[in-house]
Amino acid sequence: MSSMDAAASIAARVRDGTLSARSVAESCLARIDATDERINAFSACLAERALKRAELIDLHPQRHKMPLAGVPFAVKNLFDVAGLPTLAGSKIEREAAPARRDALLVRRLEAHGAVLVGALHMDEYAYGFSTENTHYGPTRNPHDLTRICGGSSGGSAAAVAAGQVPLSLGSDTNGSIRVPSSLCGVFGLKPTFGRLPRVGSYPFVASLDHLGPFARTVQDLALCYDAMQGPLLGPASDDPACAQRPLQPTLHLLEQGAQGLRIAVLGGWFREMALAEATDAVDAVAQALGTTRLVELPEVERARAAAFLITNAEGAALHLPDLRKRAQDFEPLSRDRFLAGALLPAAWVQQAQRVRQWFARRVARVFETVDVLIAPATPCVAPLIGTEWLQIGERRLPSRASMGLLTQPISCIGLPVVTVPLWGMSAAHPHLPVGVQLIAAPWREDHALRVAAQLQADGLCSAPVAKGL
Amino acid sequence: MDHAAYVDAAAATLGLKIAAEHRPGVLQFFALAASMAELVQGLPLETHDESGSVFHALPPQGDVS
Repeated sequence: MSSMDAAASIAARVRDGTLSARSVAESCLARIDATDERINAFSACLAERALKRAELIDLHPQRHKMPLAGVPFAVKNLFDVAGLPTLAGSKIEREAAPARRDALLVRRLEAHGAVLVGALHMDEYAYGFSTENTHYGPTRNPHDLTRICGGSSGGSAAAVAAGQVPLSLGSDTNGSIRVPSSLCGVFGLKPTFGRLPRVGSYPFVASLDHLGPFARTVQDLALCYDAMQGPLLGPASDDPACAQRPLQPTLHLLEQGAQGLRIAVLGGWFREMALAEATDAVDAVAQALGTTRLVELPEVERARAAAFLITNAEGAALHLPDLRKRAQDFEPLSRDRFLAGALLPAAWVQQAQRVRQWFARRVARVFETVDVLIAPATPCVAPLIGTEWLQIGERRLPSRASMGLLTQPISCIGLPVVTVPLWGMSAAHPHLPVGVQLIAAPWREDHALRVAAQLQADGLCSAPVAKGL
Repeated sequence: MDHAAYVDAAAATLGLKIAAEHRPGVLQFFALAASMAELVQGLPLETHDESGSVFHALPPQGDVS
């Protein structure tokens, strides 16, 4: 048994003593060693730490109770890892002091028996959707090494798709979990804004940042998510957006499937801004779930614009001192966007925040009559590395930014989303996946996960380990 | 619309030097942000439409009231 197996299966065998956590860690490290030269998912591999931790799990008196006993995982390199500088994909942060403590979610997973094996590449400061990081080289899509893996949590999705780890963590501000999930063909969960505390993670846009997991099964996704839930116990100022919700476990609810849930397809913007391979995936999901209902949200394009402006201004303001001193050290793919963002008039950003609230209120009304909304996660399958333009109908759009067209309006109002992968939707590229967003009302991650579990059980969605690596 | 004069003035006010090789990109992204601003400003809002940014007052540690 290895990192190519499901987390739940690994944990069950480590718990009952038929498999050692150390042997799982060794096989995981060997897989990373054998494949990462081609994928470039890992910015740091923590072999010594992982083996020590695995040995502790093997000797732990409570091992038989640990839901993630011996399960290897890795994190986007914006999570603090004790002893490493928190790079957040940048060159500048290489000079930062090493983190003194692991991020809170890393500590929570390890407290449940999981074993951290490394840190993963990302777009610099999370401002991108492709992980074509100029400083560290592109992270490649395990299902086609000539293509992007999506971003900004590109390493997190690629590592899971490549079978390097069964679980990983990423962040999502405008789509950075859902876009790479879609392009790499793995399951991803962006929880409700404020659900998981962000203590010990490098911020991008505090108004919009979410943390969440990637996995190759819906059960593993729920297992990992459940292990990370819980209110922030330290000072509330450590993450003022954390909503301090009680635990709401989801794993035991998955067997209910979609039964009793009201499901609809999102129309308008979510169909107009996608290619046929993405809308076909949505239609296949709708058909499998037996829904023909179409719902349109009001003013989606304005909501997306609001997220764009808040991101641009808040993200840039965070880096203003470095933009003043050393703009040349920023990622060339996002530097000019950061510089422009630092100059936005306050009135634009204030209006964007009010539009965000307006949109959230309208969408809350929609959720009075529906439980889960279906939309594409990306407009298309993974583009080739270096692609500059994307044609959608009559519109010629910048390819990298357009990967988030369909995710941005949803994270703008913090809704929980599970991204599920479908295959064979593109006639030209049948080997490539495309993801569908299952969007639920705030705090109803369980609804989105139940629908995902149903689609997985029906065989429509799956996340196989990439072949031929 | 030509935003160059605003961009130059705002950059100077912030003490942000924009290198000549970065200026065309900055102007392009500022124009993109301006097009987004046109969209958000095009939505009529009422006085009581609140902001999406909310602040929570912080009680002292240990206060459970």
